[in-house]
Amino acid sequence: MTLRVGGVDLKTPVMAASGTFGYGTEVPLCDRAALGGMVSKGIFLRARPGTPPPRIVETPSGMLNAIGLQGPGVDAVVSDYAPLWAAWDFPVLVNVNGETVDEYGELAARLDGVPGVAGLEVNISCPNVREGGMFFGNDPGAAAAVTAAVRARTRLPVWVKLTPAVTDIAEVARACEAAGADALSAVNTFVGMSFDLGSGQPRLSFRTGGLSGPAIRPLAVHLAYRAVRAVSVPVIGIGGIAAAEDAVEFLLAGCRAVQVGTATFVDPNAIGRIVAGLGRYQRLLDTSRPLPPRTAP
Amino acid sequence: MHDVRAPLVARREVARGMWALGFEAEPIAASVRAGQFVNVLVRPGPLLRRPFSVYRADGAVVEIVLRAVGAGTRQLLDLRDGDAVSLLGPLGRGFHLEAAMRRVTLVSGGLGVAPMPLAARDARRLGLDVTWVHGARTQAELCSEADGDHVRWATDDGSLGVRGSALDAVPAHDPGQVLVCGPNRMLAAAAARWPDAQVAIETYMGCGTGVCLGCAVPRASGVYDRACTEGPVYRADSIRWDELPAHLHYEVPA
Repeated sequence: MTLRVGGVDLKTPVMAASGTFGYGTEVPLCDRAALGGMVSKGIFLRARPGTPPPRIVETPSGMLNAIGLQGPGVDAVVSDYAPLWAAWDFPVLVNVNGETVDEYGELAARLDGVPGVAGLEVNISCPNVREGGMFFGNDPGAAAAVTAAVRARTRLPVWVKLTPAVTDIAEVARACEAAGADALSAVNTFVGMSFDLGSGQPRLSFRTGGLSGPAIRPLAVHLAYRAVRAVSVPVIGIGGIAAAEDAVEFLLAGCRAVQVGTATFVDPNAIGRIVAGLGRYQRLLDTSRPLPPRTAP
Repeated sequence: MHDVRAPLVARREVARGMWALGFEAEPIAASVRAGQFVNVLVRPGPLLRRPFSVYRADGAVVEIVLRAVGAGTRQLLDLRDGDAVSLLGPLGRGFHLEAAMRRVTLVSGGLGVAPMPLAARDARRLGLDVTWVHGARTQAELCSEADGDHVRWATDDGSLGVRGSALDAVPAHDPGQVLVCGPNRMLAAAAARWPDAQVAIETYMGCGTGVCLGCAVPRASGVYDRACTEGPVYRADSIRWDELPAHLHYEVPA
């Protein structure tokens, strides 16, 4: 049974999030039959070396990362990975990044019609690059411009991955929908910082990083819920999902599917475990209704 | 690679404050090679796994060595017999031993002793002559379990063996293949002396399986690669040592 979400046929409602599943060839011991689909590591037009170490810091119930979108660039992805994806039985979306609006459009054009690419997830929310990334995602006008540039250059389904670093996620969500997004992924990591008390320096070489893991889950559930209420396109919930119960929270908030990220670092078969556990909540999900307006205290 | 639910079956103190813990994990014990590691998960516990070189592998038991350096290691040392952890492994690329070299020198500082007993085992299987060199701050902190045809000690305070680091205790003449593990600054010094030594480096690590790109190692070729996958063993002169953190802090701030 497949589930059509934002123009993509998912095998289950649980996907692998960008940056936590490589290009689909790296994660061992994962029950791939459980994978609804996956989103590739974020790519740019050109290869990028990534940031110097240290790149990760563990925090209470979470981790900060500043990888810097290390990757081989679009040509290598098209030649080395897309042919593999074409043979897989779950859809692969490519997470696309640019320093300018034009670069996003160019990437969309390069990936359009490539066998194995089921859709694009437009990353306007990476906190770990100096140009682009989150700076597009926290301005509704810029978010719409990037979305429109991608939309104009591809027939592929276009998902847009939102940043939590906004005053009102509903406004950005509506801007992306109006610019042609088929679905929204909510949310990317939260910008965080941690200092090493030995050296007095930030613990990450990039100084700041993206916070992920269970630490952000209630924040992410809320933002996904706000996005769901703001738009009519599907929302894919992301943020600290480590168990079936966590996924159910996002689904109850109105998300049509979810993505699992950091949990895969801890348990390579986190997605298999989560999908296996979802059945217990099917009745709850089938009978749930949108929340009524909140009554004032 | 295996993910094994592994009960604690043995523990002993091998130096003051340094413990060897044995976990029953037959598929890993049967396949691990010197220099490879396991990524250990304790639940409930910190979010991420903790990577450890495999110290020994005997029958169905995999051993690691550790000191209490943070919340995760303290929790491991508090485990009781029969308590189970998840062991993911064997991971990484280990030492490459060359039978034609005839002799190998295993050089370790402090917890850097971790991969050396397996290296000694694999070296013997190839018929190599093994020199064991181990250093620590004091005699009490030296790992008591040495395994070589020749054994040399070093201590910072001179309480046993050569006064200085393990590097100072390496025979000057024909050490053969040199394998080194210890703090990164010790490895950088080793690289200056033996560019072709094999060093087992230490980095922060996320997944341990090659996905998260958190354990970036700056290579002389200009790229970053993954300690967990291309490493943790590298040719000494292939690392940009000035860019690799010399000292890692372990505590997860509350």
